[in-house]
Amino acid sequence: MSIRIRHITKRFSRYPALNDVSVEIETGELIALLGPSGSGKTTLLRVIAGLEFPESEGAVLFQDRDVTRLSAYKRKAGFVFQAYALFAHMNVFENIAFALRILPRKKRPPEAVIRARVAELLAAVQLEGLEKRLPTQLSGGQRQRVAFARALAIEPEVLLLDEPFGALDAKVRKDLRRWLREFHERIRLTTIFVTHDQDEAFEVADRVVIIDKGVIQQSGTPEEVRKNPANEFVREFLDL
Amino acid sequence: MAGASQFPIPVRPNIGRRATAESPVAKFLLIGITLVFFSLFLLLPLFVVFHEAFSKGLGVFLRTFQDPYTQDAIRLTLLVAAIAVPLNTVFGLAAAWSLTRFRFSGRSFLITLIDLPLWVSPVIGGLIYVLVFGSKGWFGPWLSDHGIRIIFAVPGIVLATVFVTFPFVARGLIPLMQAQGISEEEAALTLGANGWQIFWRVTVPKIKWGLLYGVILCNARAMGEFGAVSVVSGHIRGKTNTMPLHIEILYNEYHFAAAFAVASLLALLALVTLFLKTYSEWRAAEQLKQL
Amino acid sequence: MSNRAPSPRKHALPGMGLTLGYSVVYLSLIVLVPFSALFVKTASGGWGHFWETITAPRVVASYWVSFGLSLFAALVNGVFGFIAAWVLVRYRFPGRRILDAMVDLPFALPTAVAGIALTAIYAPNDWIGALLKPFGIKVAFTQLGIFVALTFIGLPFVVRTLQPVIQNLSDDVEEAAACLGAGRWQTFWRVIFPALLPSTLTGVTLAYGRAVGEYGSVVFIAGNLPFKTEITPLLIISKLEQYDYSGAAALGFVMLVVSFFVLLASNGLQAWDNNRKGLH
Repeated sequence: MSIRIRHITKRFSRYPALNDVSVEIETGELIALLGPSGSGKTTLLRVIAGLEFPESEGAVLFQDRDVTRLSAYKRKAGFVFQAYALFAHMNVFENIAFALRILPRKKRPPEAVIRARVAELLAAVQLEGLEKRLPTQLSGGQRQRVAFARALAIEPEVLLLDEPFGALDAKVRKDLRRWLREFHERIRLTTIFVTHDQDEAFEVADRVVIIDKGVIQQSGTPEEVRKNPANEFVREFLDL
Repeated sequence: MAGASQFPIPVRPNIGRRATAESPVAKFLLIGITLVFFSLFLLLPLFVVFHEAFSKGLGVFLRTFQDPYTQDAIRLTLLVAAIAVPLNTVFGLAAAWSLTRFRFSGRSFLITLIDLPLWVSPVIGGLIYVLVFGSKGWFGPWLSDHGIRIIFAVPGIVLATVFVTFPFVARGLIPLMQAQGISEEEAALTLGANGWQIFWRVTVPKIKWGLLYGVILCNARAMGEFGAVSVVSGHIRGKTNTMPLHIEILYNEYHFAAAFAVASLLALLALVTLFLKTYSEWRAAEQLKQL
Repeated sequence: MSNRAPSPRKHALPGMGLTLGYSVVYLSLIVLVPFSALFVKTASGGWGHFWETITAPRVVASYWVSFGLSLFAALVNGVFGFIAAWVLVRYRFPGRRILDAMVDLPFALPTAVAGIALTAIYAPNDWIGALLKPFGIKVAFTQLGIFVALTFIGLPFVVRTLQPVIQNLSDDVEEAAACLGAGRWQTFWRVIFPALLPSTLTGVTLAYGRAVGEYGSVVFIAGNLPFKTEITPLLIISKLEQYDYSGAAALGFVMLVVSFFVLLASNGLQAWDNNRKGLH
């Protein structure tokens, strides 16, 4: 599913967090939103998810469908939060099953199907056997993968990751980066992830969108950006 | 409590102090002063209530509760609490949700307004309703034309009680929900949950101890309120007498043992309240620590 | 915020309209409308009646009782509450936990129960009243009795306000002082106490605010002698009983004004404290 972002502006105070931002993302791309803190990258991600709403002009299109004013719970955009936001009072199974349990009665699958689906998702993130654990009983990397599996349960057409590896230590980060890349090769889901770490962005993503102070600075493949930095900011930020 | 800005965290002593500890003599003195102060002002009154209640023997104690007026008073107290507490719980939940999950102008005014009953005298809590519904009040003539009694009747008592107790649930929930943040609710939203599903499946399990804490305090105050209810009640035995008012009547008629007997029931409620409050406070703090 | 036309939906999480609407309506019905009746009734009596009411000698005598004695009670709570908070946080002794839980008793105990219990204790022939009788000290039905009741009522405020602050005092400052040669007493006066002063004052202010409006715990032990032991809330009630609504409203207004200033003072103190700590 393609994502088109057209002229999005978002204000929290006098200064816009996003200033006339436009990005085109094709189906199946793995995009990194790269920028320093406060650049607006997380805000953009949240606008795409429906967790923030832009000012009156501007549009967000999911495959030509205008979802700009659509509430998040209707968008089917899987979102993985920076601190995972797992439901602390539910175990791993219930966390992942949540999306299925809340479906309206007509669409809700029977218990056996839910169980099978959760097992499938746990296998996809390599966390079999941990169904009964509570989030507090998991390591950071495990929690992250549960958050992943949980987001996948809605069968999303786009995956949105907010600094997914930020809170983890270096080795776990490297492993998960590789895992994300492989996962993407397999599943080919349109994926956007936010990071301030340029190595991460360049290693994992098909295309990098660099943003600063709410304005897109450059968008292109890692090679393109490295070879032809568009302006002074990009040059400095990437240390070129 | 009025003015406290943090959810009360149970306090553990700093043990193992070395170069920065007081001399044993000073410690002893300070502990002693505290014990005397607390005994005098806290433990003694509590003890006296129970002692006086049984001072004329178990027979008199039990007979007090067989008196129909006492039973009416107990019934009325329970009825008022049964109305006021749920009403204020719903309010507390709604207020806490709107104040902690959204940004809007006027937020701090609303928060101050919620604290209001804790700042004003309970007598004012009764006064304002008399001014609105009393016979010389705004709606007084209209009400008496339609034969509706609010002041000097149960509805007035419920209103006054609702006024003095509505902050408690909200104040138990607001700091808690603030500290917990909204990520889990947002996550539920992205997973397709609508408002009610988010509330019941995600928020309520998180806040249950804070909710219990608020409800306990709300109930204790609702059952024990004296000043505000005294103003609107009319003190009509059997009809508009709550337990605290009944205690006053018994006391003023020199039925001391009976007055203390009824008081001992409320004192018992206070102890249960203290226990449950401490417990739920502790559980809520534990839950917060896990974040 | 934006000076364009607002976007149709501003918040992602649902329920703002419902919860905010309900809260505002509830508060309007329960608080705003009745309080406006208070202001209107106060004004409707006319300035003359208002002034007459609030400056009547009997009323002024009650101000001394309500506002003055509350101050003494709050100050006493400041001193003993400070000590108690320190002891509860810093020391360990058997029964500490129970004592700590009991601090909230004046908050949980119905005021009428407290009222009759205190009267029983300090009446001339019982308990402490009997102990003091030979010395000619009368507590019940005097201003001293009112003072005792107001101290009871305000006890939790200072203790509970101070406890978390004492808990959060970092050891290093005290240890630094000790390393610099300060004795324990000096460390206390120069380092610890100044840090705790704003919170102590806040607690005292809160205790004062509560004591000023107190009715149930006081009205039994007071004896309610005009000009001597009448509290202002009692006068409000007696005016209502005489159907002098605007008089009662006038006194209510005075009490509200006092409460308002107490609220301002407490907020101011907290802001001062936050400023000193560099928080905002």
